[in-house]
Amino acid sequence: MLANQKVYISLVISAFLIFGCKPDTARLTFAVGGASNEIEFWEKIIGEFTDSTGIAVIVLRQPTDTDQRRQGLVIPLRSRQRDPDIFLMDVVWVGQFVVADWLEPLDSVIMANDIDIGNFFEPIIDQVDTYHDKLYALPVYNDCGLLYYRRDLLEKYGFRSPTTWQELIESAVSIQERERIKNPYFYGFVWQGAQYEGLICNFLEFAVSNNGGIIDSGGSMIVHTPQNIEATKLMHDIIYKYSISPPNTYTEMKEEETRLTFEKGNALYERNWPYAWGLHNGEESPVRGKVAVTVLPRANNGQHASTLGGWHIGISRFSDRRTEASMLLKFVLSYETQKNLALMLGWNPGRSDLYEDEDINASVPHLNILKKSFENAAARPTTPFYTQISDVLQKHLSAVLSGESSPDEALLKAQHEIKETLKRYHE
Amino acid sequence: MSRKIKEPVLFILPLIFFIVVFLLFPVLGTFWNSLWQDVSFIARRFIAFSNYVRLLTDGRFWQATLFTVMFALVSVFFEMVFGMITALVLNAHSRLRGALRGIALIPWAIPSVIGARIWQLIYRYDYGIANILLGKAGVGPVNWLGSPVGAFTSLVVADVWRTTPFVAIILLAGLQTVPDDMLQQAQIDGANLFQRFFKIMIPLIRPILIVAILFRTIDAIRVFDLIYVITGGGPGGATTSLSMYGYKFFLTGDFGYGSAISVILFIIAFLFALLFVRIGRLRA
Repeated sequence: MLANQKVYISLVISAFLIFGCKPDTARLTFAVGGASNEIEFWEKIIGEFTDSTGIAVIVLRQPTDTDQRRQGLVIPLRSRQRDPDIFLMDVVWVGQFVVADWLEPLDSVIMANDIDIGNFFEPIIDQVDTYHDKLYALPVYNDCGLLYYRRDLLEKYGFRSPTTWQELIESAVSIQERERIKNPYFYGFVWQGAQYEGLICNFLEFAVSNNGGIIDSGGSMIVHTPQNIEATKLMHDIIYKYSISPPNTYTEMKEEETRLTFEKGNALYERNWPYAWGLHNGEESPVRGKVAVTVLPRANNGQHASTLGGWHIGISRFSDRRTEASMLLKFVLSYETQKNLALMLGWNPGRSDLYEDEDINASVPHLNILKKSFENAAARPTTPFYTQISDVLQKHLSAVLSGESSPDEALLKAQHEIKETLKRYHE
Repeated sequence: MSRKIKEPVLFILPLIFFIVVFLLFPVLGTFWNSLWQDVSFIARRFIAFSNYVRLLTDGRFWQATLFTVMFALVSVFFEMVFGMITALVLNAHSRLRGALRGIALIPWAIPSVIGARIWQLIYRYDYGIANILLGKAGVGPVNWLGSPVGAFTSLVVADVWRTTPFVAIILLAGLQTVPDDMLQQAQIDGANLFQRFFKIMIPLIRPILIVAILFRTIDAIRVFDLIYVITGGGPGGATTSLSMYGYKFFLTGDFGYGSAISVILFIIAFLFALLFVRIGRLRA
């Protein structure tokens, strides 16, 4: 008896050892991440998908931090693992994953599943998802920089919402001075200036709205241009010369810090992503009902620009369940799922046809502003080495904002380092 | 092989196994990785020492090295000073001794990320305690982390706060080995407080002092969590330590170069260790 028990136990243990580590090939694996409400949403969607198709799906939960999330996909894909089969990618990763040859082209998936590309924003599909005329990913939800403002304060002091940076500065200086009398913590304009990816997103908006940018018309990377120097100087002056942004802009201001400052009633203007809208109007928010949204300002001779963010869906080239994966892709991009995403999470659907939907328009009054912003979307470069380039730029822009370096010198150094980086990897 | 040789070998075998698996293998593996160009989206290729050549001309690497060494020297110096003071206080005969020893250890007992988070909240510009207190005193808010010097000082303060108890406990163990009668005899012979401290206590606890400095220096050279939480390496990269700089390449996916930085970090820590072991042996 005892001997039998021993054999049985060791069999069980070895079974665990052998099968415990093996990827679950019997089921589809879908990698998602983000805040808890996002993961809850995906679990609900997956439940509906499994109910209607009978296909079991494992939701692979990833961390909230974008860089760590990327690393969590890079490691299995580099080693050609069969899982995850299908995943969400930040807009800037799509180019990297395509160059690494990790994504299944979607052209045949679209044909087989009757997905109409016409239902998506053309500039986004063109700038992010298409390489050499092949489609590799599709937007699940879009993000873009927006200008939030205090409607009540602009009315009180007789200003209209700004369309140029100059108008923004003038009204902010004037209102800040008068609001400070009763609130010493009041600032005209809060935005994301800490040294992280958000700084690049903000820089891109300042730059592109001043006819600058990171990529020139020939597709090469140029940052040391008169337009960009001017834009960087404006970012610096907003903190130091006009003093409408707090001194901790370049040390602490990320999305949540700006949101909380604005929500406490300590700011007139705020640059942030669409997610802030719902929170600004939450039950507990002191600025509830006093907030409005518009497109980000432009230079006097420039045009509006919003940095494009958002997450796109793609299928792994190493997936062993491509048919099921493409069914899930279709399900995620269906009108109903996208509508749920807009209504439940308050996010902006990847599909453009939802921007005409009555229910969504009723819950998101500024939908037309969003639509306009997506049409002005400024994408970040799609090189596979974007992360390294962003890192270089972040450091030099931060040096300008902390007063350690001049815009001219910093951008020249950044230009040089970017060139070195690209040269090194292309050798 | 005779039984005489076999047995000792058998006894040290597990130790050798652990050293090889957990020490030698990772160090050599990292060194091996550092000889490759290993970038996320392109094919891996062998480039011998090119990563090290790149380090030579990498301004950010030198900045990080300088910062790391400066941080280690300055913070370990203050930790020794305050650690010694704390140890002397705790060594004094008093009814509160037991309670004081417990209280003094609190900063060390707090997980370092949480300790760093506490300091981050203290330094915060808009609702940090430091600025609120200054505001009460009528002084305008200070952007503590806004300048390279301010950020450096803030980090040193946080690190000294956190690790002084550790130093104090080690030194206290040393102080307890100093015989009371020796100190009393010196006092009778006319040695004043400072003479008793520098001529008797310090020479007697010297080996333990060296151990404390060694532990703390190596630890400070590898500093990561504190900086990651409080400054994130800013402003403008001024407080990026070597381990944070190496980590950056894990995130951006340049594993070979990141490994080269780790190897250099290892060498610097190793050199400091050799230096202190040598100092410890001199005169001992």
